[in-house]
Amino acid sequence: MDLASLVTPLVGALSAASSLFIVAAGLTLVFGALRLINLAHGSFYMYGAFLATTLAAWSAHTGLWIALVASPLLAAGMGVVVEVGVLRRLYAREHLTQLLATFALLLIFADLALRFWGKGVRGVSPPRVVRGNLELAGAPVPLYDLVIIGAAVVVGGGLWLLLSRTTLGWKIRAVVDDPEVLAASGVNVRLLYTGVFALGALLAGLSGVIIAPQQAVEPGMDAQIIVAAFIVAVIGGLGSITGAAVGALIIGIVETMGASWAPSWASTFIYLLMILVLAVRPWGLLGTPER
Amino acid sequence: MRRRRLAAVTAAVAMVATTSACGASSAGSDSGGTVKIGISTSLSGSIANLGQTGLQGLKLAIDDINKNGGLLGKQVQVVSADDNITPATGASNVRSMITSDHVVALFGPVASSIASAEEQVAAQYKVPIFFHTSNDASLMSKTFTPYAFQNVPNTVMEPRAVADYLAQQVTKSQPITIATFAPDYSFGHDTVDGFLKALKDLHVNFKLVKQEYPPLGASNISSYLSALVAAKPQYVFNAQYGGDLVAFTKQAASYGFFKDTKVIAMYAYAPLAALGDQAPAGAIGFDRAPFWAINNPQMASFIKAFQTKYGKYPTEWAILAYSAAQQWAWGVKKAGTFEADKLIKVLPGANPPTILGDLTIRACDHQTEVPEYVGTLSSTGDSQFGGLHLYEQPVFTAPFDQIALTCNEVQSMQP
Repeated sequence: MDLASLVTPLVGALSAASSLFIVAAGLTLVFGALRLINLAHGSFYMYGAFLATTLAAWSAHTGLWIALVASPLLAAGMGVVVEVGVLRRLYAREHLTQLLATFALLLIFADLALRFWGKGVRGVSPPRVVRGNLELAGAPVPLYDLVIIGAAVVVGGGLWLLLSRTTLGWKIRAVVDDPEVLAASGVNVRLLYTGVFALGALLAGLSGVIIAPQQAVEPGMDAQIIVAAFIVAVIGGLGSITGAAVGALIIGIVETMGASWAPSWASTFIYLLMILVLAVRPWGLLGTPER
Repeated sequence: MRRRRLAAVTAAVAMVATTSACGASSAGSDSGGTVKIGISTSLSGSIANLGQTGLQGLKLAIDDINKNGGLLGKQVQVVSADDNITPATGASNVRSMITSDHVVALFGPVASSIASAEEQVAAQYKVPIFFHTSNDASLMSKTFTPYAFQNVPNTVMEPRAVADYLAQQVTKSQPITIATFAPDYSFGHDTVDGFLKALKDLHVNFKLVKQEYPPLGASNISSYLSALVAAKPQYVFNAQYGGDLVAFTKQAASYGFFKDTKVIAMYAYAPLAALGDQAPAGAIGFDRAPFWAINNPQMASFIKAFQTKYGKYPTEWAILAYSAAQQWAWGVKKAGTFEADKLIKVLPGANPPTILGDLTIRACDHQTEVPEYVGTLSSTGDSQFGGLHLYEQPVFTAPFDQIALTCNEVQSMQP
């Protein structure tokens, strides 16, 4: 087997894993801190992507770069409104109620998006400098795939630094372990929850912008991405960023291998994998059992 | 106690009264000079554009009918609903349109699974239903009802037309390598299977090197695409449409895939507009009703009217919906009534004039004898249509009798 035929599937797997990780990171972070599965995560992702198309239409050359900052901020803003307005009232309730509330928000945001941006398919082109491909060992490697892989590394590295090296990071980890003690030591836990939720939303919006140039930006992308992100988070362990990375990598590799050797089964593999993980280790590969 | 019983009796009487009133007015003799038609289609989710533009085409047709004095002296009203891409919702929408709104005709949804559910309801209540987007061939064969009509090239016709075009392009002696890339549901599988079978029947010498079935609507197709690229096929038959096709095209282009491989896909107006000058020149596109390839005066004025009203060119769904409405209206005028049983006797075998031409509605399966259009994408933008990259002329029009199942074949499958 020559090197070229290894490079293409490898890049495909890494690119798939990277897209999945970028989207799932925010979802798993929010679950880790708030014990909340936020289905509206898909909405933040979609709004990030749609805003990118609007800005790109408004300014062909700089629109996407502006969106790289504007979309995460829009999503973070939406996150703050959602957390303060809706979710804060539901923390005392059981998980199912919170889940249903976020599902309702997903539907509401989807309908609003249809009104703001219509029902058609939109798109945004990647910046000229990262169009096309480069040759690696005789195989074409799309430049934008490398951008996405790079973005995943930056997001993953940034989150790791945040959680392990900053004060905010240890507060977030502390609120996962024992929110009562943290509140007793004078930390404003409510503000922390809002902050973490906003951060999760920001990551979703950012992933929307980054992935938009490769995709069709259209209605229904919110529901589609939330399923994929959820599976990654569950396999990796809800609450664990490293778990999300591991989960995304496993799915990327399994899906690519499946596409090469058993194409009609490839899309089923990730669901089989999730069932397997849930059966053997219900809290995910790197997750912690429910407190 | 007596008051509650009185209320119950009143309610029962009221229900009986309304149902019997429904029975009477289903013949279309509503008072007030209006008559209603219904369309339940997908107005949200990934196929919203197909549903929306179909609805726009239908509404434009009804506007034109109403402007010209209505139908049998009555103004026509369109009742529309969103089916949320769920067969049960589509069926219940249609049922309530029939029982509460007393619609005299129904127009089809986008997804064939929903169409199948609606077909059963329409047959049960004896209301004519016109499928102009959902194109599963089984709608007019396995689950056929005389109340259903289809004017869109079906899942048998479309891949056969594409195979015809490809067979003309290749030399029979040289083997070609083919890969397929289709969404993982019935339409994707049926279309790919139909294409490969048609190639075999045309004795095209080919070798199948890869078959990929990414999930419908999947945003992340890197794994499937990289496997496809690694297989290095000469031709790829892609059964994706709309946004999925746009995503595929963008990602495949970044691999430089279109340089060495001829991709065959449903490059219709919506994806071509979304791709703009990133539309892959030299790729083969197929379309069920491309507005730029149907040349007759009715179509030209329809395109202008559609653009004026909606600011965009008509998609194939709008064109097919408009012509389905024209067929229905012609049938009503010919029969002199809105009554379903009389209408379904007049339409089969007739050739109502529509913007697609005076096409015949085949009697054995109520399928309009429409062609399928196949062409090569141009490298230059068409200045007549705002710089869109469309097919090079002349566009290949696969004739109906070459691509459709014969009446014998269809009737052997009908109940």
